[in-house]
Amino acid sequence: MAMATSTFSPRPASLRPLRAGAKPHLHLLPFPRFRAGRLERAAAAGEAPVEVAPPAGETEAEPAPAAASNGAAVKAVEAPAKATEAAAPPVPAFRDARWVNGTWDLSKFDKGGAVDWDAVIDAEARRRKWLEDYPEATNTEEAVVFDTSIIPWWAWMKRFHLPEAEKLNGRAAMVGFFMAYFVDSLTGVGLVDQMGNFFCKTLLFVAVAGVLLVRKNEDLHNLKKIIDETTFYDKQWQATWQDDTTGGPKN
Amino acid sequence: MTSLSSAVALPSSCRGARPAGGRARLLVARAAASSPKLPSGRRLRVAVVGGGPAGGAAAEALAKGGVETVLIERKMDNCKPCGGAIPLCMVSEFDLPLDLVDRKVRKMKMISPSNVAVDIGRTLAPHEYIGMVRREVLDAYLRSRAQNAGAEVVNGLFLRYEAPKEPNGTYVVHYNHYDGSSNGKVGGEKRSLEVDAIVGADGANSRVAKEMGAGDYEYAIAFQERVKIPDAKMAYYEERAEMYVGDDVSPDFYGWVFPKCDHVAVGTGTVTHKADIKKFQAATRLRAKDKIEGGKIIRVEAHPIPEHPRPKRVSGRVTLVGDAAGYVTKCSGEGIYFAAKSGRMCAEAIVAGSANGTRMVEESDLRKYLAEFDRLYWPTYKVLDILQKVFYRSNAAREAFVEMCADDYVQKMTFDSYLYKRVVPGNPLDDIKLAVNTIGSLVRATALRREMEKVTL
Repeated sequence: MAMATSTFSPRPASLRPLRAGAKPHLHLLPFPRFRAGRLERAAAAGEAPVEVAPPAGETEAEPAPAAASNGAAVKAVEAPAKATEAAAPPVPAFRDARWVNGTWDLSKFDKGGAVDWDAVIDAEARRRKWLEDYPEATNTEEAVVFDTSIIPWWAWMKRFHLPEAEKLNGRAAMVGFFMAYFVDSLTGVGLVDQMGNFFCKTLLFVAVAGVLLVRKNEDLHNLKKIIDETTFYDKQWQATWQDDTTGGPKN
Repeated sequence: MTSLSSAVALPSSCRGARPAGGRARLLVARAAASSPKLPSGRRLRVAVVGGGPAGGAAAEALAKGGVETVLIERKMDNCKPCGGAIPLCMVSEFDLPLDLVDRKVRKMKMISPSNVAVDIGRTLAPHEYIGMVRREVLDAYLRSRAQNAGAEVVNGLFLRYEAPKEPNGTYVVHYNHYDGSSNGKVGGEKRSLEVDAIVGADGANSRVAKEMGAGDYEYAIAFQERVKIPDAKMAYYEERAEMYVGDDVSPDFYGWVFPKCDHVAVGTGTVTHKADIKKFQAATRLRAKDKIEGGKIIRVEAHPIPEHPRPKRVSGRVTLVGDAAGYVTKCSGEGIYFAAKSGRMCAEAIVAGSANGTRMVEESDLRKYLAEFDRLYWPTYKVLDILQKVFYRSNAAREAFVEMCADDYVQKMTFDSYLYKRVVPGNPLDDIKLAVNTIGSLVRATALRREMEKVTL
């Protein structure tokens, strides 16, 4: 199905091997503790203590014994299909001091009395990125229950919508100014008279729609694809009626 | 196609009281005028190729309608690899005995790529459930019902058919007959059968479809491992099924853990990345790891699932039903109910068009079944297609999907449409709220996605 292949991100759905455990230490953020090689989650509910990032040597040594335990843990489940797991690298679990009981503890995001929503958004983005790269087993005791709707709408607006709106309005203003000048120089029709003209109003509409819909070069192609997609399934269902020359019932 | 208006005019199809008799009378009046009476007063003869839900339901309805039916099935004890979930309306519409249902799933857990888990099923009434069946049990039951109604069930492998030489001639069906007795030939004995119409119910790799030039469809590969897990862990899956979504589990489908009679089926599927199916399966097992640990794999199975109907579903007096026709929904991959229903509807159209087996049928009668099926179920298929396109696009969309599932209204609408196959318009105010919430979820998830791209771990 064309649409599925082209919208699917180029990254293959596989565990990315842990890039030489040493990478965590280059991290500037203090919170994540990387237990390189741990596949099993510890009884995690009460696990809050912040751990200093382990020194390089310790992390390097961990993958070896951990790989052995990793192999043993999954052996029971997949005796016949061992080949696929043979090269599975040890996977670090996601840990964060502010992630408690499957949700973000908002009291830890305090900034001058109010909740620092930007930091919550950042933390959740990090968590999702982590789990996308290193998928984890789900845990019935520690179910993830975080819902992004607890972050108020204005926090999203301020962070994402406003900068984009500013950019688009800027583009529209620049295009508008230049087009008004250009049309005026060509036809002598001033701005007020242009607004009264139907053709100019149409051009204005097209310009605004263009600025809104086409933000990157790929968008032109994407829009065409979306239009095709909406009717593709219908066409597949109608196919049996297309060759009907005997005059059967048409819907 | 005015699919919207037909959705409004849609009868609630699953209440089972649609008067087939009344409709038959109308069609008989038209058929009697055009199609010729069968020579020497013989009855109409139809071959149903394939003995799954579609074939069994078709054969039963044909036999009940007075048509001489032969059901050809290649493997009587076939354990078709299948999720095995049937909606409530199938149990009532097809009068299935409750002991056919191994498990009644009342809770489903949807798990997002970042392991956000949402329980759905809160809104189910006590008598509502998703039935989990073993295909070998269901198929055998439907075939035995067809046999009791008067159909002849034959163990054989369909090879090919010959089209009739003159306009109202007969088709010749060639098949390998398996004797079953110890002194029968090993490869089966070649036999042939003269019939007036053929119903192709032989599944995703339909031979009938190939013979009639029905065309190809895109298909997903569903891969499943049956795992016997310790009783303590099995208790968790007592009434619960799980669905995992994520790029790691499948780029365009979902991974599942479905409870069966005494074990669980862990599987996943994909259309676009079939070569990576083993990787996806490993990822599904990883996500469910703690819950299926210590389990023993007792069976590994895979099967194609059609993604959309074949370009041609009828040709002359040969038609397709079930998976052979490609009646599997998007998004959920549901096929058993639609197979059985299409088999029954096709049979009813043949019975009506032949005036209970006394007249010859024509292609137009078979097209009536297609028109009716398309009209009844098009809204369901379209809605599921839209859901798949919107929510299975990317991890961000899947996160939004799981978030939406936490909403009670969504759960109620979802289960109503799944269990009873009716697209009921709800309260408009709730619908608007739902639309706003959906857009909100999608926008938030997409915004987070953009932040995720900036994060370097």
